[in-house]
This record gives sequence, structure tokens and C-alpha cells, in this order.
Amino acid sequence: MANRVVGYQRTTALIKLLFFGRLGDFAKQVPATIQASTPAEIRERLNADYPDLVKELCQPQVLVSVNQMIVSWEQPLAAGSEVAFLPPVTGG
Amino acid sequence: MNSIRIQTHDFNLAEEYQLLRELSPAVGAVVTFTGLVRDFELDSSIDSLTLQHYPGMTEKLLQEIVDQANQRWDLIAITLIHRVGELLPRDQIVFVGVASQHRVAAFEAAQFLMDYLKTKATFWKQVSQDGKQHWVESKDSDSTAAARWNTRGD
Repeated sequence: MANRVVGYQRTTALIKLLFFGRLGDFAKQVPATIQASTPAEIRERLNADYPDLVKELCQPQVLVSVNQMIVSWEQPLAAGSEVAFLPPVTGG
Repeated sequence: MNSIRIQTHDFNLAEEYQLLRELSPAVGAVVTFTGLVRDFELDSSIDSLTLQHYPGMTEKLLQEIVDQANQRWDLIAITLIHRVGELLPRDQIVFVGVASQHRVAAFEAAQFLMDYLKTKATFWKQVSQDGKQHWVESKDSDSTAAARWNTRGD
């Protein structure tokens, strides 16, 4: 555990989290910010406390954006980034 | 000459049409589409519909869709309005208006704009039925409609 903490301090940044559509229903208790270095790591870190949410986040149709740009789950995150999880859109 | 608006209040079709019509004497065609709230979802009636969106990103995505339409067709103006918040059956949700010199460009661009808006813009619908809320599922038919624009060689 000690190693993990050191690892986070070296490589992670404070990230703002947003969940839209039905994902928001699963994310009501999730804190507004988290420390992580990629969107995929956010998903991993939420898994312990929010397994139902993470199951939804792992659906292939769910997209992730960083600072309002759709990116891959491995996109490196800078401090202060806004990460949003986007289920399939249903406007119009 | 393009106008993109995300708003809670209603819009007036006649006013929007008039604005497009009066933009330029070169306008020879105006095509408009208005989307309405149906009174049913999955075969049962709805009480209301709530539209959520991602402020900032939605505007950016709609601008991209409008830019793409302008690249594909020779257009004079596009108006794109999408309402958010709580709406009731029969309310207007979305408006697309396209002005061009000739009708084919306006017809095609209006359809393209709607197909892309439905599959790319960050809006989510939640319906209220018998006091219970649930999120609307995306439809494969919408993805199919949007995908056909990828195979036209431009």
C-alpha cells in the first residue's frame, strides 16, 4: 500500500469528474475530484467503492472526454483536467 | 451567418424562417425541421421529458457539425436550436433551418445536421412515466442514419 501511495504522488494529478445521463444515477456518491493519471486509472480507482458505476463505465459505448475533447482511456491527465463520462447520446 | 443556440425557452418557427429568408437575396431555398416531444416512449405514455446536456462541450460539438455541413454543401446560413430542461408532450425540442441558393443542398444539409446532432451532440433524454424517471436508450437506427453520410465519398 505504501508503494502505491508513493506512486500516486509521483504520477497523478487532481482531476474533476463529471458523469452524464444514466451514469449520473450511479455516481451520486462519487467525490467531485480524484487523483489519477489516465481515465482508465479513474475507472480502476473507483471500482472498490462504486462497482456498479464502474460496470457501467466499462460498457464499450461509453466515451470519455478530457477538457471537452473525446479521448482514449489511456490519455495522460494534467492537473485540473475535467474528465467526463458520456453514455450514448439521445438528443434531437 | 450561422446561429447555434441551446436554451430552455421555446422558439418560434415563423421567426426563425423569416430570419433565414431575409438574410440575403441569394437565398433560393429554406428547409426547416422541427422535432417535438412525443407523448409515448416504448409504447407507454410519458408525463414529461427532461433534456440534460454538457454545457460547453455541446456548443463545441454543434459548431463542429455546422462546420462540416458548410464544408459539404454550398450553404448561406444554418440555424440550430436545441432546448434543454423539462419539456412536455407536444413541446418543440429541436430546430434545424438551412438556407441555400438551391434546394438540394438545403434538404441534404438539414438531414445531415439532424443525423449528426442525434448521434454526436452531448444531450441526454430522461422521461418521466407514471412518476418514475428513466433515461432513454440510444437507437441503432439513429447510428445507421448518421453512418450513411460517411460513405458518400466526401
